[in-house]
Amino acid sequence: MQIFGALDSQNVVYTIAMAGHLSLTWLLAPIVCCLAVPVHAHHSFGAEYDTSKPILLTGIVTKIDWTNPHSFLYVDVKDDKGNVVNWKLEGYPPGVLYRTGWRKDLTVKVGDLVTVTGWRARDSTTLAHSREVTLADGKKLFFGPPAGTGDGGNTPAVEVK
Amino acid sequence: MTHSLRFLLLAAVAVLQLSVTAQTASRAVAKPTPKSLIPRSPDGKPDLTGVWQAGSTQRGNWEEANGDLGVGGTGRNPAAAATPSFNDRPADREAAPYQPWAAQKVLEAFNRRAIDDPSALCLPLGVPRLALLGLFPAQIVQTPKQIVILYEYMSVFRVIPLGATHPDDLLPSYMGNSVGHWEGDTLVVDVIGFNDKTWLAGAGTFHSDALHVVERYKRINKDRINYDVTIEDAKVLTKPWTLHSSMMLREGTRLEEYVCAENNLDPGQYEKLLKDGVKFTR
Repeated sequence: MQIFGALDSQNVVYTIAMAGHLSLTWLLAPIVCCLAVPVHAHHSFGAEYDTSKPILLTGIVTKIDWTNPHSFLYVDVKDDKGNVVNWKLEGYPPGVLYRTGWRKDLTVKVGDLVTVTGWRARDSTTLAHSREVTLADGKKLFFGPPAGTGDGGNTPAVEVK
Repeated sequence: MTHSLRFLLLAAVAVLQLSVTAQTASRAVAKPTPKSLIPRSPDGKPDLTGVWQAGSTQRGNWEEANGDLGVGGTGRNPAAAATPSFNDRPADREAAPYQPWAAQKVLEAFNRRAIDDPSALCLPLGVPRLALLGLFPAQIVQTPKQIVILYEYMSVFRVIPLGATHPDDLLPSYMGNSVGHWEGDTLVVDVIGFNDKTWLAGAGTFHSDALHVVERYKRINKDRINYDVTIEDAKVLTKPWTLHSSMMLREGTRLEEYVCAENNLDPGQYEKLLKDGVKFTR
């Protein structure tokens, strides 16, 4: 897979060529990538996901796993050539989703159109960490924590000279 | 300057000084709280009963307090400051006083981006780490003879008998053995009997089985408990490590079930990263 990118301070557009048969256009949301604030969460985001690979995906929900310690949202994303790839998006556990405003089987259903912001897995698979989901009616809800959560932040607990 | 303006300025300065005092000095000095400010149990002690969110200073119910911050909230203002992750060192926190060899070990875990976090294996967080966790609520149930704390995260609990002493035949455990007593309006909880399998407060902050934790819970008004904790571990620290946090009342919030073993995929992901040689360390 090759990634071709153009970067500026406001918007980033990547064109992805995947194994020669799939291309996706990602419009990256700078407000998500740059204002990430650490919050409490399960375990390391930074090991699995890459904050330098923010994404914005629009597609059809195919499955939702309301499971601990993390839930997963599966979305079919179609590129401009009609090729479809199923993305797996990690997020909060069910209890946190409930307190965030999600209601199982009501807020989003299989077949719904959603737009999701997040960050790609370091291994460049179609696994990603989700942050904000925009529902078909325009309502926005967080599905996962900000980038970097749980990986130790910017400063170690100790000072080593 | 008119007399009334001067009075207003003096009053403002006094309020500011009081505010600063409340944020700092009073954390260490047990000052009597006006009885009318806090709910009390029939025995006259502050009543800590309720559902609480650690690591926050925002008043209101869960949605009101977390909506702007996006700490498990609706995130109306994603730019708002948020409370730090349990693996992050808050900006105002001093460095943990580890012995040099131990500090190196903590740094190595930080550089591995906390993949060795015991919670990634669904193990209990221990104390004080669980008491600092804000994404999940905790419920305090208070009686005259014991206090019980129920934590949503990992569905663990602590039973804290009041006026008791630690048993002398403790089995090492993740959450340790807690006993409490009242010092004025402050609940003081002494915790020993830990195993060495948890982290304290931040990525890699390991400890030994010599860990001794003293927590101080002081309800300063209807909405807030000041939480101060002192950590002692002569095997890894050079001196006691003291942390300050808070807990905010979240009326209307109920604890949800949290069965971590249900679908824990992350350890497998970490193994895959290591096996495939994917660069993720700092």
